[in-house]
Amino acid sequence: MFLHTLMFGWEYPPKNTGGLGVATQGIVQGLIRNGIGLTLVLPNGEGIDEEGLDVRSPGKRRLRRTLGLLHAYDTVRTLEERLRQEGRTIDNLYAGDIGALVVQFEEFAVEMTKDVRPAVIHCHDWMTFGAGIRASSHHGVPLVIQIHATELDRTNFRPHRWIESQERRGLLAADRVIAVSNYSKDLLVRHYGVPEGKITVIHNAHALETAPLSLPITARYGSKRAPLVLFVGRLTIQKNPCQFLEVAHHIHNERPDVQFVMVGEGYMFGELIERSCVLGLQDCLTLAGRASRREVEELMRRADCLVMPSLSEPFGLVALEAIAHGTPVVLSKQCGAREVLKHCFTVDFWDTEKMADCVLTILREKPLALQLRSEAPRILQTLTWTTQARRIRAVYEDVLSPLPRH
Amino acid sequence: MSPLISLYFQVHQPYRLRDLRITEIGQGEPLYFDEKKNAAVFRKVAEKCYLPANRLILELLRTYPNFAIAYSLSGTFLDQCEEYGEDVLDSFHALAETGKVEFLAETYYHSLSCLQSLPEFCDQVCLHVRKIASLFGQTPHVFRNTELVYSNELAHIARLMGFKGILAEGAEHILQGRSPNVPYIPPHFRLPAHTERTIRTMRPLPLRAKDIGILLKNYRLSDDIAFRFSERSWTGYPLTAEKFTEWIAACEGHSVNLFMDYETFGEHQWADTGIFEFLRALPRLWQERGLEVATPSTVLHAWKKKDKEENIFDAHHYISWADTERDLSAWLGNRIQHAAMESLYKLEEQVKESNDPDLLHAWRRLQASDHFYYMCTKYWNDGDVHKYFSPYDSPYEAYRRYSHALCDLRTRLPTP
Repeated sequence: MFLHTLMFGWEYPPKNTGGLGVATQGIVQGLIRNGIGLTLVLPNGEGIDEEGLDVRSPGKRRLRRTLGLLHAYDTVRTLEERLRQEGRTIDNLYAGDIGALVVQFEEFAVEMTKDVRPAVIHCHDWMTFGAGIRASSHHGVPLVIQIHATELDRTNFRPHRWIESQERRGLLAADRVIAVSNYSKDLLVRHYGVPEGKITVIHNAHALETAPLSLPITARYGSKRAPLVLFVGRLTIQKNPCQFLEVAHHIHNERPDVQFVMVGEGYMFGELIERSCVLGLQDCLTLAGRASRREVEELMRRADCLVMPSLSEPFGLVALEAIAHGTPVVLSKQCGAREVLKHCFTVDFWDTEKMADCVLTILREKPLALQLRSEAPRILQTLTWTTQARRIRAVYEDVLSPLPRH
Repeated sequence: MSPLISLYFQVHQPYRLRDLRITEIGQGEPLYFDEKKNAAVFRKVAEKCYLPANRLILELLRTYPNFAIAYSLSGTFLDQCEEYGEDVLDSFHALAETGKVEFLAETYYHSLSCLQSLPEFCDQVCLHVRKIASLFGQTPHVFRNTELVYSNELAHIARLMGFKGILAEGAEHILQGRSPNVPYIPPHFRLPAHTERTIRTMRPLPLRAKDIGILLKNYRLSDDIAFRFSERSWTGYPLTAEKFTEWIAACEGHSVNLFMDYETFGEHQWADTGIFEFLRALPRLWQERGLEVATPSTVLHAWKKKDKEENIFDAHHYISWADTERDLSAWLGNRIQHAAMESLYKLEEQVKESNDPDLLHAWRRLQASDHFYYMCTKYWNDGDVHKYFSPYDSPYEAYRRYSHALCDLRTRLPTP
């Protein structure tokens, strides 16, 4: 059966700020390999040229400028800040104006895709739900929504009510919901009241690198270097970067030779600098800010351990990226990736001492580090975007099937 | 003629490790073991298995004259009885007093020392034999190694130690279609002179045995009870005592050897599966069918009197009763398990030279095979965690705690 999907996304590599873009790309490419036709609508999709993919964007319209300002992980506060930097003055930014942006996207998205004949609508996270609902009723086809993160995950359960209501609206309207982990599914059932039978869990995957390493292998093994412990993630409450500083502090007390690098940007940057100085980490901790994909990969290859202390992480693609580069990981237990990643340490997010202990054990015990490095990536041979997209295809087929599901 | 039936139950509890932290290492003898958890697990298993099962077995031994049973109680289990459950120990005393219970010898600390250190292995077998003699007034004559780990060499070591019999897994790849229901012997050969000398000086029994019989576990019938009893998808479900007795009666050979963990009764198979009723019904049915029950020693004795032919069980490599592989991979299958084992036995000399009984005791408790089992990652990727029931979150958590304990132990060694 040939299927055409009309997909609404919000970000896409290389113009992405987080895992949403990476996952969207993985899913898109996986679906195409599974013989699905795809029209992808993005607020900011110029220059994307992938075989078999029909990308639609506002182009040079005025809309693009405004839409481009709303990032995938924005909260009301961060958007306000960015608009101020842009020299814009918006009197009433609350709900109304974020709302206006999203509504603009909705109208544009449906307008630009009237010629498409989709079998199913697929959208990613709350900003696209309005567009998805409209397109679904316009074309008279089922709506599948995929949740990569909810407002509750992003805000440590202090949601912006309007955003949360948008999520509820999408979850209610959807014919099927795809969650990226059982952890996320539980949250959708418990806090959003989504019926369990409506949700399918499809874990994220990781595209194994085929490109040759840019640096000769000697750069990694040649010289003696200090142990490196890594944090990669937006510096926002969800990713719990403050906890990483506490972990670093405990490690530093035992092993002053260990270096720490935090990659990512976010509104907590300032307070993290202050806190790291208070903890006496000024000489061993680097807040690297935003880094390119290549830089992150290189850091992962060099790191002895990656710590992901997230408060609530529906999946946590960074963990898969780390193991793909042979980096042992220590994850918080509130992290969906642990359902597929068995060769790692998992610790309660609040237990910084134990996280530090796990890192120190990895640094001390060479056989342990070697085993984690060699065993963890094995899962990536079966957990590919092609296999996961096949499961998404099965969800499409199921939702299109004339027979009742049960 | 129908074969004899030989029942042997393994009874063991390990000392699980506490959530040790790196900051405690070298800070003056921290407790390695989780006393609260160990006590709780012991009491739970005592209430669910040891006490009710012993009550039932006692009743059966008293009721049916030709019912008999063999146990192997690990030294760490007996230690835990003294700490957490005199009532459990008393119930084993009551069983012993019937005179129809045979106690087997094993390594005191339920260790895999046979793979690493002959002197340590001998020490632990001696300790265990003495412990059983002092508790139950009988000297074991049949040896069963931890996890039924077995090899040709080990059989001769046990023989030189004085044992007349040894238990092993009826591993298919060695039997090659032959029956597990007859006793076997190891191939004849001599151990290196220094090995023989070591055993001679550290023998648990006064004289070496001239020959040694091997009793093989009938793994089909044993696992029907131990693993499949409550499995609804199994074609044999539900397993009734009548059906099981039929299967045994249909067997040929000298003895059907049913070996399993004692925790099968009430713990692995919960009481509500009907496992106790099943066990209760067996001796009556066996008596009605004229099936004789015998302990390993009796089985071997009866075999000796027969005009037997010599069946050789040839295990060049180690075998065990674990998993489908029946090898050592459950304890020594990955890098961290090998590293842990190696680091542990590297300390032997220094620990023994220290003459510090606490240190020796701690080091020995760290030898329990369970610690290595918890680090197993064989089925870990498949998410088949039930296969490896563990008190810890993951094999890596097991290694973390274990390596901390070893690090601390190292700081307690006398500096040379």
